[in-house]
Amino acid sequence: MGSAGMAAFVAFVVGVTTILSLLLGDNPALFGGVPGSDELARRLALPGDVLLRLVAIVIAVSIVIGIANLLFAHIGRLARGKIYSAILLASFAFTIYWTITNKGDTSLLEAVQVPIESALAALLFVSLAYGGSRVMQKRADVWGLLFVAVALIVLLGSIPLEGLAPVKAWSDWLMAIPVSAGGRAILLGIALGSVVAGVRALLGQDRAYRG
Amino acid sequence: MDETTVQVYSVLFVAITVVLVYTARFFGRRRARRRLQRQLAGIDQIPLWITQGIESSMPLHLSFGATGVGGDQTPAALAEAEFFHHVIGRAKASDISPIVTMSAPATVPLGQDLLRRAWPQGNSFSRVQWYPPDLAYAGAVAASAAAEEPAAHIMAGRFGAELALMLESADRRGQPSLAVSERLDGQAVAYAMADHVLIGEELFAAPSAVSEDGGGRADAVILDVWRGLIILGATVLLMLEFSKQLPLLSWPLVAAVAAVLIVLGAFAYRRR
Repeated sequence: MGSAGMAAFVAFVVGVTTILSLLLGDNPALFGGVPGSDELARRLALPGDVLLRLVAIVIAVSIVIGIANLLFAHIGRLARGKIYSAILLASFAFTIYWTITNKGDTSLLEAVQVPIESALAALLFVSLAYGGSRVMQKRADVWGLLFVAVALIVLLGSIPLEGLAPVKAWSDWLMAIPVSAGGRAILLGIALGSVVAGVRALLGQDRAYRG
Repeated sequence: MDETTVQVYSVLFVAITVVLVYTARFFGRRRARRRLQRQLAGIDQIPLWITQGIESSMPLHLSFGATGVGGDQTPAALAEAEFFHHVIGRAKASDISPIVTMSAPATVPLGQDLLRRAWPQGNSFSRVQWYPPDLAYAGAVAASAAAEEPAAHIMAGRFGAELALMLESADRRGQPSLAVSERLDGQAVAYAMADHVLIGEELFAAPSAVSEDGGGRADAVILDVWRGLIILGATVLLMLEFSKQLPLLSWPLVAAVAAVLIVLGAFAYRRR
């Protein structure tokens, strides 16, 4: 068995164990109340619980991987003469030094990061307004028109003016019925896709295991 | 519905999906040359962008967004990795490696493995770039779009409204984009601002649309089958609910309307 075959086998065993443990475990009623069903349900739930805890640990470690990736990528860029990468690396080193010497003080974060993110959030408004203005250029069809009309009604409906009360009623109806239905349809599609993709990974059909 | 019933239905749903995927893959491989899958708008632009990138030595930018590995987004991350794998595979002739970005640290190893497998020329480490999530990620990607000048942006993952910053930056520089988000706010922004957009489960059908793998196309057909069944089931339930309120509606009528809907649905699917 090659490395790809071994990876697929491990993925299959772990996947099937976890899914059976999650689906069958922790619910004695599933076994029709036969004697010892409590213990059986608890034991079935155990492997899934252990594997999910392992996942949590791996995710915690992956944050270190992410930071290492960021640093190495910018060291590489610095070697190619990108000056902004030097600023990033210096900021990283200074923040580490500040946090250690000031015993976990986050005032630097609040003084720098929060205003910059707020400025980006303000820019986001401009970008969204620009995007809204471009909809009819990019999608000059009935669906683009409908998109803009709904966005305008919802925007107008959010203005607290008495004269706009009918628009508010329209806006509420749009949000409660068609928008909610459309949103659920999209999420349902994503959920279905997740199941099929999960089954594909479980069966070792995914490219990640086939090499 | 009590917990036991939900669990039983869940077991049945997963079991049926496993059987369907196996069966469809078995027949799908045999019929790989025949068009099984419906067309996805925007996917046909990808070869054009790849060609332009190769000719002008510009990289592609592939973004996972905030999709992480380890939680309930894992299948989406794997589907996106599969999609990107096929896209990168088509861009092998280029002399510059694609850029893969993400804001979930757990996706970094997946991205590096993806680029290492699909891009055997090497130098994949610095081309996979992690940035802190949300607005910081959007700002970094927008800056990267200015510095690296990608031939196109393919953003398939978990994005919020901050996607607007990235798409606006790309649009200002004349860089084409394809976007799809697992989040509704990001999906709305993608629809409004991206040059091409995929919606909902099309994210999971995209890998097979850019590959020649008949098995992958069969998976996409399974998605359509499940979706059709859910629409049909919801329609029948709705009509049954109406039939309690209106004396004109009855079981035979509901059955007849359901049959007509099935035929119409099958016809529409066939035409597409």
